[in-house]
Amino acid sequence: MPGIDECLLETMRLPGARGAALVDWTSGLALGTVGEPPGGDHETAAAEAAELARLAAEQRAFGPEDGAEPADPPVEDVILSNRDSYHVLRFVPTSFDSSVFLYLWLARSDGNLALARIRLGEMAERLVLG
Amino acid sequence: MTVVASTPPPRLPVRDRAASPTRAPGVSPMLTRLAEERATGVLEREHGTLHLAEGRVVHAESPLATSLATLLTRHGGLDGAAWREAEDRADEGRLLRHGVTPGVLELAQASALYDAAYFALAPSSTPGRFRYGGAHWLAGVHPVPVGALEQETLRRRALLPRIWPDPATDGAPLVRADPVAAPAVPSRQAAVLARVDGVRRAVDIARELGRPAFHTLVHLRRLAAAGLVSPRPAPARDRPPDTGTDPYVALLKRVRDALEAL
Repeated sequence: MPGIDECLLETMRLPGARGAALVDWTSGLALGTVGEPPGGDHETAAAEAAELARLAAEQRAFGPEDGAEPADPPVEDVILSNRDSYHVLRFVPTSFDSSVFLYLWLARSDGNLALARIRLGEMAERLVLG
Repeated sequence: MTVVASTPPPRLPVRDRAASPTRAPGVSPMLTRLAEERATGVLEREHGTLHLAEGRVVHAESPLATSLATLLTRHGGLDGAAWREAEDRADEGRLLRHGVTPGVLELAQASALYDAAYFALAPSSTPGRFRYGGAHWLAGVHPVPVGALEQETLRRRALLPRIWPDPATDGAPLVRADPVAAPAVPSRQAAVLARVDGVRRAVDIARELGRPAFHTLVHLRRLAAAGLVSPRPAPARDRPPDTGTDPYVALLKRVRDALEAL
């Protein structure tokens, strides 16, 4: 899985996937988008999700308490649900100092949240490790 | 009484910004034209350079931004010699053989491209120059349509003043303000704050940290909004001694500066 587009296309193969994006949470930039945009516009959705991701990544209270060296960001993912869908934000750890996350919009009727969470984690890792 | 049928005065021209988001003021019309003719070559502007291939932007550089080389080498992912070797031979494959995965190369190249383009597309006082020529050696990594790049640049311009209206922290040497009750600083901002020393500017800090310069501008605006960082004041003139140590005076000054910058 070499690049951003391939990673996003693979995300869309998850059951119930409606849309996906790779977003930078410092600038709010969508580096890649695929599928339907949540709220009708990919750019706005990315900027709003970036704001949520930033808050989650910056608060100390959400980090682990196991005493090990804290990762950057300390949070793995953010899961948000509403009546008909899930929004899953998965932070992508990179070898250089970036601030990106995978953003998946999942229909609640045929999506599997646990599966999506595991797969997003694998895809985030493969995007960076090749 | 005679009734004179007078025609109403003509409406003043209003630029319809909503209708053409990619042609909003401040972004290069030359770039739009080059995109339309699917040009390949290098556009040199006052604050940076954009490389085009078939009308799309494939690479960007600016003296005010953090380069792709710095992003990739700063955190030990790649050593400087390996980068120079790849650059000299214009060989993308060499980067991949030195442990840079395609995903990391694309992420870093996209970050560096939008970062440099933000500065390169800043309003300039001199016209840009375009040289037709071959495509950049990294042209295949992450090409960006001109419209998308211009739109993102405008979005970034609008983002900064929403965080803190005063643009002075973008370019000036910076000093720490140390308010009485300092708020907790998130770790990425703390790394920026730790390098504020009265000499370094945003771009210097960004390069030392190996981060995009625009990200550092965002962090510095947040730090300025929290009252932790301010631009270094101009050299002292004949004025009564500065009362900057009084926290209330410092606060009032920041409020004044912010109001002036609105």
